[in-house]
Amino acid sequence: MSPLFKAEGIVKRFGERVLFDAASLELETGNGYVLIGPNGSGKTTLLRVLAGLDSAQEGKLVYRAREAAAAGPYPEPWRREIVYAHQQPYLFRTSLADNVEYGLARRGMVRERRAALAAEALAWAGLAARHGVPPHRLSGGEKHRAALARAKVLNPVLLLLDEPTANLDGEARAQVLELVRALITESHTVLIATHDPEIIRLAILTRLRVSAQRIEVAE
Amino acid sequence: MDLLEPTRQAFALLFSGDRELWGIIWLSLWVSVAALALLAPLCVPLGFVVARIHFPGRRALVVAMQGFLSFPTVVVGLVLYLVLSRRGPLGAFELLFTPSAILIGYMVIALPILMVFTVAAVQGADSRIYETARCLGARPLRAMGTTLWEVRFAVTAGFVNAFGRVVSEVGCALLVGGNIAGLTRNIPTAIALETSKGEFAYGIALGFVLMVIAVGVNVALAWLQGEGGLE
Amino acid sequence: MIKRIVFALATLLCAATAQAQTVRMATTTSTANTGLLDYLLPKFRSRTGITVQYVAVGTGAALKIGEQGDADVVLVHDRESEEKFVAAGFGVKRRDVMYNDFVIVGAPADPAQIRGMKDAAEALKRIRAAGSAFVSRGDRSGTHLRELQLWRAAGVEPKWGGYYLSIGQGMGTALIMAYEKRGYTLTDRGTYLAYLKKTDLQIMVEGDSRLNNPYSVIAINPSRHPRINHAGATRFIDWLTSDEGQRAIAGYKVGGAQLFFPSAK
Repeated sequence: MSPLFKAEGIVKRFGERVLFDAASLELETGNGYVLIGPNGSGKTTLLRVLAGLDSAQEGKLVYRAREAAAAGPYPEPWRREIVYAHQQPYLFRTSLADNVEYGLARRGMVRERRAALAAEALAWAGLAARHGVPPHRLSGGEKHRAALARAKVLNPVLLLLDEPTANLDGEARAQVLELVRALITESHTVLIATHDPEIIRLAILTRLRVSAQRIEVAE
Repeated sequence: MDLLEPTRQAFALLFSGDRELWGIIWLSLWVSVAALALLAPLCVPLGFVVARIHFPGRRALVVAMQGFLSFPTVVVGLVLYLVLSRRGPLGAFELLFTPSAILIGYMVIALPILMVFTVAAVQGADSRIYETARCLGARPLRAMGTTLWEVRFAVTAGFVNAFGRVVSEVGCALLVGGNIAGLTRNIPTAIALETSKGEFAYGIALGFVLMVIAVGVNVALAWLQGEGGLE
Repeated sequence: MIKRIVFALATLLCAATAQAQTVRMATTTSTANTGLLDYLLPKFRSRTGITVQYVAVGTGAALKIGEQGDADVVLVHDRESEEKFVAAGFGVKRRDVMYNDFVIVGAPADPAQIRGMKDAAEALKRIRAAGSAFVSRGDRSGTHLRELQLWRAAGVEPKWGGYYLSIGQGMGTALIMAYEKRGYTLTDRGTYLAYLKKTDLQIMVEGDSRLNNPYSVIAINPSRHPRINHAGATRFIDWLTSDEGQRAIAGYKVGGAQLFFPSAK
């Protein structure tokens, strides 16, 4: 079976600095992957290129056997199925429910159905009790969980998470970790960039290491 | 000079619903609002584009817009007068001394204000807003709308500022409007006229209304912003 | 208020310079716009050493300024208002000075077809019936008051649609607006001639006796406002009505045409 997502020959430069030089990776459907590497090695940048937020200088992206140049425009249909979450997630200054419903609304879903699915996702993330709270008043951990609920409700085929436990510790971190684990086991295809050891340690994840401007499968 | 009596008369005029007086107030309001309403669908998206997309000459454009922020309104009036008069290039449209001429003048005056405020608002917006919207499946146009909504207070501040500027300006409105009773006489031009005629009651009444409008709109904005504006 | 400050400063300045006197005058836009004052006043100064400073507003506003004592003398053109002014005790020594006449002018195309009519009131009626643009001074000036008298004589109300343009401004502005709007207006002949190059308006109606426009000069009552320059005002009035002054008035021409006709008795 061909892989769900492939990146081939990615070349990414920032001015003089070369971040990736003919880097490649493959993601199989239903698997979980963790992208590791030292700070500044380009994990976030790579995820952004895969998500279509940045373009590379050279290379090819292949999703479900459809190709697109990494240097060119990102195919719009991919955005319906590939969801990316920022390292520090941004929640719109409307309401918690609105945030979670946002993607569903873009798909033209009717209000009742959206609301129901959003409520489910918020409950899944343990945020049902925070229903009326303005998003900017949520704690750091709650914001991360809200972002995960917002992504999960869209039933993404490929989920790209950038440091889902960034700046969290203790209770908050544990809660987010729970959700990440749930996402992995619910057979979404997941790629997580992180240096959180508890995530890296998870046995079900295949480790991809960024090294020498390439990506290699690590043990 | 006793000002108490004219002031008392002024309020009597206002509350008696004097038709001419309220006609003047109505003209000021509707032309100002219409100018902004017509500019909004152009300036807001354009401001977004200028803020986010690098094109040749972008910097020059932004600098030029800043430069025009305090452009003397009477000069706008002068140029517009020359253009709209019968001897001018647009004389055939017979727009001089009509409310439309004032409307056009207001649009010229408000344009740089709306552009500068919108560009600043979008540039100050968190870059994650647009990206988050796109990553959740929003088309570029929709993501633009979402971004603008997130910075709505900063954008609205531009409208409030522009409104305050046009509703109280007198140079342009007088030149291209002609201060015609019942047609192009708005609050500032009426104040100028009536005061010079010694009709202080009228001038005071209108001045009071203008003050309430100008201050009130700003207060309303600050109130609406509430916590949203002050992080 | 501003006029008061300006006048006060001007008076102070003149008091400071040795011996020169100042007289403050409130007059109408038609005497100013035609250039008559800029021609006459220097002659008065070289005869008497007195400088006349003036503000040009409408007759109504000029009389108001005189009433408040912000001027020493007024030069206006509305007999009815003048008589009320003197009767109320605001003015003394009213003298006839000169006259010119009003004319109805309009766009050459003459949409209301009034060219050559001899009855000014009927002409206004026809303008209204045709719905043509008509610019009114709207400022209680001598011209405006005469216009209202003509509407009364015609028996019609001068307010209709968007075509009656009441501007509250001077004669020059009214002429330009009539030109821009391709309409009509009532004007004194002098200002019309002075503005010939700026518009394409033509004389449509003239000669009606109701279009006669006499000017008077009135000194402000010193017992009401003791600090005004009554002596200077008196000298000005005397000069205006003297042979020399009257000859000067008759001698003022624009484009070869005499604008004002002496009428002092």
